[in-house]
Amino acid sequence: MPALADLDSEAYEPGSREDFDRLYRTAYPRVYRTLAAILGDREAAEDCVQDAFVQAFQAWKRWRPDAPAEAWVHRIAVNRAISYRRSAKLRQIGEVVRRLGRPVHPADPADIAAQGDLLTALRSLPPKLAAAIVLRHYHGYNNREIAAALGVSERTVGTRLRQAGERLRAVLQPSFSLDAAGAFPSDQRELYAED
Amino acid sequence: MPKTDDDALGPALERRLRRELNRVQPRFSSPRYASAAHPRVRTWRLAPVALGVSLVSILALSAFVATGSANPVVWTQRVVTVIDSNPPPTSEPSPAQPKAAPPAGAAHTPEHQAPATSEPREGSETPEPGRTPEPTESPEPSDSHSGSDGAGDSSHGSPAPIDH
Repeated sequence: MPALADLDSEAYEPGSREDFDRLYRTAYPRVYRTLAAILGDREAAEDCVQDAFVQAFQAWKRWRPDAPAEAWVHRIAVNRAISYRRSAKLRQIGEVVRRLGRPVHPADPADIAAQGDLLTALRSLPPKLAAAIVLRHYHGYNNREIAAALGVSERTVGTRLRQAGERLRAVLQPSFSLDAAGAFPSDQRELYAED
Repeated sequence: MPKTDDDALGPALERRLRRELNRVQPRFSSPRYASAAHPRVRTWRLAPVALGVSLVSILALSAFVATGSANPVVWTQRVVTVIDSNPPPTSEPSPAQPKAAPPAGAAHTPEHQAPATSEPREGSETPEPGRTPEPTESPEPSDSHSGSDGAGDSSHGSPAPIDH
């Protein structure tokens, strides 16, 4: 998995269509996976990523290269995912009310197969915490890049990473203790209920 | 890229996260931003058409207000009548010449001819309503030298005394 600094080794010129196309080709799969981990829904992730790139394209002339371009797109996409999850909760309430007494349709088997326990646990976290975990442990961002991607301070990034790790361990504790018992040898004291 | 000390997950969980996320294969659809750029171009291309349509509608609305009819044929008829009522600039000078000519010697004729054609007008325009009937009668005798009405009477009556 290439690091963010390697991906941004070639400078992007704000407003250049060719550079934005290159950014799309490079960043789309990475941003898509981040949102897939946050949302747990492939179609929703694709929709949000496409929306994020549309928004980024409209602001591409105003982009300043003081932060990596992919982190900037990540920021837009994560905010889009947060909005999506917020509205999805409202939709779920409406769906529950509407489907009272009706049989529940089974979920898409492809989605079920693609989602492991860890992704399911990530989905149960608040989006900002899940995004911090994915950006750090999947994309290899450092704290400064995560701060740029999430629009917070580096100190806040550290706090969020710590909270996310604790919550994930709490959720995954039964299964995770079987196959990786020594992963968290010391930090077993704080357990948080699932959201 | 060196990570900082906030490694909340251990290596085992990190490997597991990578394994599960690598299984998620993004579907490469056509970039939406590429198609989203076109509508702006289309709208700007349609701007002249929209401008023309709005101008025509404003003209139609003003014509409707002016004529009170929604029929475009009526609008064109109205335009024709307005244009036809304006051409006189060429015919105006000719009536001015006859007016200038009479003062020489025929000062009486216009005055007498005019009452003959427009008797009611003069009668109605006179400020004194009591004298209105008189102008209607005066023109007829005026043809037989109205300036000497008394003399005429005496001339008609004069032969008799002469005969006497």
